[in-house]
Amino acid sequence: MNKELKKELGVGIFFAALSFAYLLGTTFVSTFSPFGNRGLDSKSVPMLIGGLALVLSASLIISTCIKYRQTKATTNLKKEQVCDSDEVVCIAPPDGVEITDKTKKLPVKMVLSVVFLVLYFALYQRIGFILSSIFYLIAEIFLLTEKQKRKKWALFIILFSIGVTVLIYVVFTRYLTLFLPRGILG
Amino acid sequence: MFSMLVAGFGSVFTDPLSIIMVFLGTVVGIIFGALPGLTTVAGLSMFLPVTYAMASGTGLSMLTAIYIGGISGGLISAILLNIPGTPSSIATCFEGSPMAKKGEAGKALGLGVFASLIGTVFGISLMIVLSPTLAALTIKFGPWEYFSVTIFALTLISALCGKSVTKGVLSALFGMMFATVGLSPIDSAKRFTFGYLQLTSGFNLLAVLVGLYAISEVLSTAGSDKPPAKVLAYKMKGLGFSIKDISGQWFNMLRSSLIGLGIGILPGIGGSTSNLIAYSVAKNSSKYPEKFGTGIPDGIIASESSNNASIGGAMIPLLTLGIPGDGATAILLGGFMLHGMQPGPLLFQTNGATVYHIFASMILATFFMAIVMYAGMRFFVKILKVPSNILLPLIVVLCSIGAFALNNRVFDMWSLLLFGLIGLAMAKAGIPGPPFILGFILEGAFETNLRRGLEYSNGNFLEVFTRPISAIFLTLTILSLVLTLMRQYQSNKRLASSKN
Repeated sequence: MNKELKKELGVGIFFAALSFAYLLGTTFVSTFSPFGNRGLDSKSVPMLIGGLALVLSASLIISTCIKYRQTKATTNLKKEQVCDSDEVVCIAPPDGVEITDKTKKLPVKMVLSVVFLVLYFALYQRIGFILSSIFYLIAEIFLLTEKQKRKKWALFIILFSIGVTVLIYVVFTRYLTLFLPRGILG
Repeated sequence: MFSMLVAGFGSVFTDPLSIIMVFLGTVVGIIFGALPGLTTVAGLSMFLPVTYAMASGTGLSMLTAIYIGGISGGLISAILLNIPGTPSSIATCFEGSPMAKKGEAGKALGLGVFASLIGTVFGISLMIVLSPTLAALTIKFGPWEYFSVTIFALTLISALCGKSVTKGVLSALFGMMFATVGLSPIDSAKRFTFGYLQLTSGFNLLAVLVGLYAISEVLSTAGSDKPPAKVLAYKMKGLGFSIKDISGQWFNMLRSSLIGLGIGILPGIGGSTSNLIAYSVAKNSSKYPEKFGTGIPDGIIASESSNNASIGGAMIPLLTLGIPGDGATAILLGGFMLHGMQPGPLLFQTNGATVYHIFASMILATFFMAIVMYAGMRFFVKILKVPSNILLPLIVVLCSIGAFALNNRVFDMWSLLLFGLIGLAMAKAGIPGPPFILGFILEGAFETNLRRGLEYSNGNFLEVFTRPISAIFLTLTILSLVLTLMRQYQSNKRLASSKN
């Protein structure tokens, strides 16, 4: 099974499991019909959504299996096309034109960025906006900076993180009247 | 309408803060549009909390200025870096970069800015004319009409986005599932709260939108190893082009603007789609299609006038029906709601003065955009060298402030992260994002109007087919689904035959 079909199957299985769990969840929704039930109650639309999702995910799984059988012995010969971000339309670029937007994904940086975000949000109210933001900015900017440039930029990154955080705090709390948690500094 | 617009201009020009914010918004938008990896939506998400304390007209004018600047700014990196600054400028790369390589970067930039100006003015003018008329029509809508419009919008976007209708509809249903969390409409029954108090009010629209668009974008860019692209040299005298360069382009500009406007009106998609379609149409109807790709003005003009005309187009369904025309207008919908305004047919009656203030600011922002881009091109080209490692974490911090300030609770920040990860996973799995967004936004209207309609008709669902407007929308729904399925079947067949 090629990568594309595996992805389709994965999507189908995920949605099937999700819609099944969602449908199960609708049984716990309470209903209220003081004037008699002339139409739908609070669980009807979720049941409709869950039911439709279950049917469609089942059809996606089945169609993927059929596609797998049909394309088992063939090779993929697709001409590269340029699509918009929503994949509404794809066109073949003019001959010789190549957009240099092909990026190599580095999941390690992505995973670490998520970890930093989790820590940032977890500490946001506990230690306050200023400290958590300074730590987050220093950690994330260091992560995104090229390894060989980190040492050279270290002082700038630290000073920038402190300066910009304090500036944001002052602007938002003094001039834009927003409340930001002070945490241990309060 | 004209007197309201004059009053709108009056309120903008008598308020210096409004003018400053529109100017600032335009510059910020151009910067976000120009920087590859950052989009208009990220700019809107970042500056949303800045508008919290402003008057609704001023705040929303700033956001629309960011939108206009953002769509236009994408052409700078498309031409000088050969990287589209925003998805709306993909087709600009096809001609812009070859022109820059030929030493005509100044001309390409000048033509791009001019086409952006014409496209935006065209789109906004038609938005100003059409929106009040459509709002007057939609005010007569009852529950069945609204129900059928939501069904039409959801199926259309599901059918258009991505390569599979099934995945598109599943994405919309996925979004609807999240929207059912909290209290149900009409009878306020708790649904999927799992005894957790914070979930009673459901997921905040802005936290969902900013998470899906901005956070997932930041995480995705953080994970990419992009070598710094070389900025091509440019020289720009005056406007960068001569009258002769555009004399034969007026029809191309008009046609592309119309395409942009039409695509923009369709729910959920905008400039990112229209620029490719307009480019294709310009190429296919050209007397010299073989020259496309070698660096000719036609392609830049088609791409830039269409993506900018989509701005006005995307605002029309937002203002008249409360249905966003693209990602940026989805954030604007959140902005409207945050400022206590509900986009839809009643908007012109309840907040007419503010709406015309925004219209006037949009016209002002359009001219600011052109002036700033012509006068400050040197500055924006320098901005291209700003490293994204500094900007990305800053966007996260500002988006987090925006999420926290919604209700002063960290729960909305966790929602931000959750939907950021969902957006990332969906992109990886090839599940289109726009149907999810529309599903989340429209579930409330879908459910409320379906239940209301059935209450009014004593449980008779067939009434939806007997009302002319709802019958038209349902017919269009079926038509769009059938056409898409046919298109999908034919392309699958073509693919299978090409493989054999």
